[in-house]
Amino acid sequence: MALQPQAADRRWRVWSTAIVVFVVVVAALLAFVVLPIVQGQSAGLTAFAAICRSLGLQAGSPAARQPSSESKAQPVSMVAWTPQVIDRLHHPNLKNGAEIAANICASCHGEKGVSPDAQFPHMAGQSAFAIYKQLHDFKNGARVNELMGSIVENLDDEQMADVAAHFSALTKGALDPRTISSGDPDVVRLVEYGVSGRGIPGCASCHGAHAGGPIETPTLAGQRQEYLFAQLTAFANGDRHNDIFNRMRGIAAKLHKDEIEKIAEYYAAVRLFRPQD
Amino acid sequence: MKSLERLTLAHLWVAFAAFAVACFFGVWQMWARSPLPAPFVTPDHYFLSVTAHGVSMAFVLTTFFIMGFGYFTAETALGRPLPGIHWAWLAFVISLAGALMATVAILSGRASVLYTFYPPLTASPIFYFGLVLVVVGSWIWCVLMIVAMSRWKHANPGAPVPLAMYATVANAVMWLWTTIGVAAELLFIVLPASMGWNDTVDVGLTRTLFSWTLHPIVYFWLFPAYIAFYTMAPQAAGGPLYSDTLGRLSFVLLLLYSLPVGMHHLLMDPMQSTGFKFVQMMLTILVAVPTLLTVFTIAASMEIAGRLRGGRGLFGWIPALPWERPMVLATGLSFVMLFFGGGGGLVNMGYGLNALIHNTSWVTAHFHLIFGGAVVIMYFAISYEIWFPLTGRVASSVLAQRIQLWLWFCGMMVMSLPWHWLGLQGQWRRVAQFDYSNPIIAAWGPWVIVSLVGGLLLLASAILFIWNLASFRRRPFAAVPSFRFAVAVHSPRRVPAALNGFGLWNALVLFLMVAAYGWPIAQFFVLQAPQAVVHRVDRGG
Amino acid sequence: MVVGGAVALIFAAILYAGLVLHVNPPSNIETIDPKTLHLSAEFTETNLGTKVEAGGQVISRIVATQFAFDPQCMVVPSNEPVTLRLASPDVIHGILVTGTNVNTMVIPGYVSQIHTVFTKTGDLLMPCHEFCGFGHSQMWATVRVVPRESFRPNADGRVACEKS
Repeated sequence: MALQPQAADRRWRVWSTAIVVFVVVVAALLAFVVLPIVQGQSAGLTAFAAICRSLGLQAGSPAARQPSSESKAQPVSMVAWTPQVIDRLHHPNLKNGAEIAANICASCHGEKGVSPDAQFPHMAGQSAFAIYKQLHDFKNGARVNELMGSIVENLDDEQMADVAAHFSALTKGALDPRTISSGDPDVVRLVEYGVSGRGIPGCASCHGAHAGGPIETPTLAGQRQEYLFAQLTAFANGDRHNDIFNRMRGIAAKLHKDEIEKIAEYYAAVRLFRPQD
Repeated sequence: MKSLERLTLAHLWVAFAAFAVACFFGVWQMWARSPLPAPFVTPDHYFLSVTAHGVSMAFVLTTFFIMGFGYFTAETALGRPLPGIHWAWLAFVISLAGALMATVAILSGRASVLYTFYPPLTASPIFYFGLVLVVVGSWIWCVLMIVAMSRWKHANPGAPVPLAMYATVANAVMWLWTTIGVAAELLFIVLPASMGWNDTVDVGLTRTLFSWTLHPIVYFWLFPAYIAFYTMAPQAAGGPLYSDTLGRLSFVLLLLYSLPVGMHHLLMDPMQSTGFKFVQMMLTILVAVPTLLTVFTIAASMEIAGRLRGGRGLFGWIPALPWERPMVLATGLSFVMLFFGGGGGLVNMGYGLNALIHNTSWVTAHFHLIFGGAVVIMYFAISYEIWFPLTGRVASSVLAQRIQLWLWFCGMMVMSLPWHWLGLQGQWRRVAQFDYSNPIIAAWGPWVIVSLVGGLLLLASAILFIWNLASFRRRPFAAVPSFRFAVAVHSPRRVPAALNGFGLWNALVLFLMVAAYGWPIAQFFVLQAPQAVVHRVDRGG
Repeated sequence: MVVGGAVALIFAAILYAGLVLHVNPPSNIETIDPKTLHLSAEFTETNLGTKVEAGGQVISRIVATQFAFDPQCMVVPSNEPVTLRLASPDVIHGILVTGTNVNTMVIPGYVSQIHTVFTKTGDLLMPCHEFCGFGHSQMWATVRVVPRESFRPNADGRVACEKS
């Protein structure tokens, strides 16, 4: 009698293990052998190739030929956010950046990054990643501007990172434009909701706080109205095309002219905390 | 009140508080998505709400309820005080602190990444750390459950562990296995990224690790409902459990086959191969087996009870059941929702069919029906059932309890059935606002409103549930009888060691996990896929 | 046993789809660096959209980014095998095409690939169906399925939606 329970227990162990292993083996055979070979045959793949694909060792489906592509890269911006680049921007030489800003940038963009002239954008508090990218784009012609093009010729990568970080540090904290109410409900709608019907995301979905948009997204709050208008218009007609994968061109082209005017006005009116305040 | 009752109640109240708040968020979300104008609808509010709703329902309501109910079961089923109750209180404090941290992060808008996290979208570290703490507290619970059972076995050598406790420990063991995925994801990838120590993340690996957790976690939630099916419903119906052995077997099969199947959440992802998707899909078919066994066993138990009460004929036992008892009513309603929800699940796991419904409202319908419906209705019934032994108070109105359960059922069906239809039409997920001027989308409008009505019924039910609990009355001089779980027709004097412990099953789970997830995870270390830049959602502007 | 029967039935259906219809979920373990996607040869801006390759394969290349698809409108022929290839330079996106079983995730680091045949002609909606940030609700594209006669590639083999 004492032996029987142990025999029963052993039977449970043996059978459970056997069934589980059997299920896994059958599944694996079907998954990695039977299905790929059958599918691969009609696609003209060798059994080996089909099995490799079913395991994920080769790209593609076991049921179809893998397409090939012959095209040449024609990039619109050469900047790539590798960990090295990001790290460089997180650990800048601010003293160096301040010097460059004072010597080269201040005459147009102002002493503290607050531009005195309507056509030149404010730099104070701008995203370092945004500035860095634009400087590089000016240099290799992805973004065309005679004045900036000639200026950045003399800046190397490290200097660009340093000056970008310098300007970025010139204000305290990030502002949430949604905390500022504009009188016009239409533009508030555009900024916060976008327009689903036209496939226009709200500006704040990238340019707002807590948005988690692309790393090079510039801050718009408190920017020069004329500059914002000019850039949106340039995106709309394709004159400016250094936005990656048509992100801004696609949006701007769908905006009506009066919407562009209102957006520029809205963001310019958002108060930005500046050093002299 | 004894310490264990206070411990259980503390857990349940935290769970239900989170639940109630989440219901409000849920209704607002449905209003926002409908053609009807709703207030405060901006994308950031909407996704904050979705995150809050998801985290409250999926992490707080569930974990705290399961822990509280587990402590109660450990003491009542085993008939001895819970060992290490101070550890249990520590676990409660840790988990509560974590839940509060996560709440603060979410409500301040710094964690709108949804409860499934979407790396490289990266929230505030406080959010992730808060959730880690919730899990750590639950791990302490797991250990306490295992210790309680093993001490009982030591004191009762050769005796079968009471089914309710065996199932609870199965759940604890499963949870330990389950959390490996999300713990690895958070500790090694997401938290370091959120602390700024990494600027890029391997998205494929992160998603695969999360999928490890994503399926078994729903079975973690489901276990208490099944425990109630096996150990409370038959008793409430006035009959015995049809088979204790089938019960144990079902729980063991759930443990085995809920773990190596997470990839059915990745069927549409490019970075996992067809072969492994197929293997995990086959294992997923097997996880339907314990549910089918359960339906059979409980239906049989109910049939016995019905016939004992005089029911005749093929189906005469059904009306003969004491439907006025909330536990019986809830079980019946739960089975109806299980049928629809389970059926939807079979479509989801279909190797090819998944393509029809992935990331559509069909998926939303499925998990609201099966979890929000079939499982949560049992959470309500369990609460009603154990409230007296916990508090010494009796229900003011059992009718109100039944009304609440019916409201929940009707609300869930009205809300989720249209979603199934809409999902097949292509209505996609996580949308703050639909463009109802598009003719395709306009056709969906009326059904979205129907769903909203369902949601309002659910909100009413949720409020009534809290009201019902709060209005339990003190009955003067009432002695609290000890709580008893259902007994089986043939109460076993001995069960096979395999069905009285977990050694064998742990070994088999290990085998299954290596087979199902071994290469799918290891491949990332060989492949070294290019990483994506972290997108912070807790700063910027 | 009813349980066994149900399980066997489901299993048989799936096996049939796999063996006879060659239905597979979209797997494609082909990596691509999201950080330099715009510098890549295949997914450079001017190579996006539908192109008939040298071997006659119709391939539609699409980039999913926050918060639009590029191109936002693509033309595909009906009743011919079409391969969709998608990539993301930033976060997780996903697509479905209404009225079809085209459905895949787009994971940064990988090229998503779908082999399909479109049968219904007309403009189909292709929304982004996975949460990708606050602009997710406004992210959608149009798939224009045209009958073979209307599908006329230009000298480079490309077909694009007409500008309205």
